[in-house]
Amino acid sequence: MSLLEFDGVDKYYGETHVLKDIDLDIEAQEVCVVIGPSGSGKSTLLRCANRLEEIQNGEIRLDGQSLSAPNADINYLRQQVGMVFQSFNLFPHKTALENITLAPTKVRGVKKKQAQQRAHDLLADVGLDAQADSYPNQLSGGQQQRVAIARALAMDPKVMLFDEVTSALDPELVGEVLGVMRDLAEGGMTMMVVTHEMDFAREVGDRIILMADGHIVEDAPPEKFFNDPDSERAKTFLSKML
Amino acid sequence: MAESYSGESTSERVDESVLNDRTLKWIGVAISSLFTLGIFALVGYIIATKVNFELLQTIFPRFVDAYLLVLRIFLMGSVLSVVAGVFVGFGRVSSTFPTGAVARGYVEFFRGTPLLFQIIVIYFGIPALWSGTFPIQDWEIPAAIIALTLNHAAYVGEAIRGGIGAVPEGQMEAARSLGMSYTQGMREVVLPQAWRNALAAIGNDQVILIKDTSLLTVIAVPEIISVFRSVNSATFDPWTPIVLTAVAYLGITLPLGFVVRYLEDRSDWGGDSQ
Ligand SMILES: Nc1ncnc2c1ncn2[C@@H]1O[C@H](COP(=O)(O)OP(=O)(O)OP(=O)(O)O)[C@@H](O)[C@H]1O
Ligand SMILES: [Mg+2]
Repeated sequence: MSLLEFDGVDKYYGETHVLKDIDLDIEAQEVCVVIGPSGSGKSTLLRCANRLEEIQNGEIRLDGQSLSAPNADINYLRQQVGMVFQSFNLFPHKTALENITLAPTKVRGVKKKQAQQRAHDLLADVGLDAQADSYPNQLSGGQQQRVAIARALAMDPKVMLFDEVTSALDPELVGEVLGVMRDLAEGGMTMMVVTHEMDFAREVGDRIILMADGHIVEDAPPEKFFNDPDSERAKTFLSKML
Repeated sequence: MAESYSGESTSERVDESVLNDRTLKWIGVAISSLFTLGIFALVGYIIATKVNFELLQTIFPRFVDAYLLVLRIFLMGSVLSVVAGVFVGFGRVSSTFPTGAVARGYVEFFRGTPLLFQIIVIYFGIPALWSGTFPIQDWEIPAAIIALTLNHAAYVGEAIRGGIGAVPEGQMEAARSLGMSYTQGMREVVLPQAWRNALAAIGNDQVILIKDTSLLTVIAVPEIISVFRSVNSATFDPWTPIVLTAVAYLGITLPLGFVVRYLEDRSDWGGDSQ
């Protein structure tokens, strides 16, 4: 049993068939980088993995428990899947610290003191303990995204999902966010990462998945993916990327 | 340096020196100074020549009573219309069938007919539905509060709907992705932001509510305009009661402005630097 399993997943938006019979198993501690052209279904794949979108066929399982079953305890399961968004989505009316403590205290019933203690530790991990009392609009994009990562980590997720988390950042701020993700990967976090940062994919990814038209068309370790991919789609994609 | 405001045609930018920033600024200063001087002169003239200070002292207690009555009606109507407006706003954003449609119909009716008409319906219409004597004594005050509440709940509801609509979808998604329920996401994340977004519009509406109490003169509520009319018809002196009328209304609207600004500052969340 793998940690996160997609089993024959189909996703439609109305008539549009966006994910087509996706089979994908992600092992614990694996970093799976998802790349592919715009509209190929990368975001949808991630959003289905914490049920921000419903799937129409197949099953998604986390640690053997179905995420997609109609009777799944979705609020419980979502706590185990952290998600970081391209647009940060920090809560603007809460300080960095409060952004992080909100879910643990409200959802888990963690004591306030304890949640704050943990939040300070997490902020220190992402290099932002000095900004604990800042509001999001007092932080740079890179700082906001690091707080968003800390916020997701505060629920002790088993898997972290990253959807183009550096795409909205000024180039000089990309590095600090990728650095935090690299630390996480080295710490053994299981991750699915949609990104256009090919250096990051190559260095941090254990496995690269190329999506096209709702299919997974290539699935290989970085070494093989970048040097000797099997599919024609991967070859043309790489020739355009590099 | 100097921007030309005669922006019709660039070939004719002869006169940059006339309508530049500085000239405009000085025109503004001149006009507003003249205006202020004029107003002070007029008010001074009126107070010196048209206001009867003996009468002013005599009628002052009646204006105090009217002021306190309007203040009470406003406070009741304000609290009730904001609370009811929150429900109307929730109804307006609801996607379940009857709720959304009912809220919509409510808003269309109360914004689509004059408040004066609504006051008349409640004050005259409702007691006429009873076969015997209507059980509520001094119905004009409860009727006034009910009419103002129902009417302004529609406007507050629309303000709240707009406030909720202006919260980006990603906020609820982020809350849900952390394991919060829909209700928790609404309460902890969406509504505080919606409230902030709606505050200015709600504040404007509540100022209008204060001024709308003047309509209650038609159902014989002894509010500020009623007192003005009674003094004026007894003495034929317009300016003495006019001065007190203005002071009485501003004595409610100006403090309300401070309250709204305080609430806005309190939800500033680190400023709007981004
Ligand atoms: N809410 C939606 N309603 C309808 N169609 C949608 C919706 N979201 C996405 N789609 C469609 O689904 C397809 C896959 O979208 P998705 O966002 O997953 O692509 P992506 O690979 O993440 O692209 P990008 O690189 O541009 O982010 C696209 O054709 C898109 O138009
Ligand atoms: Mg996407």
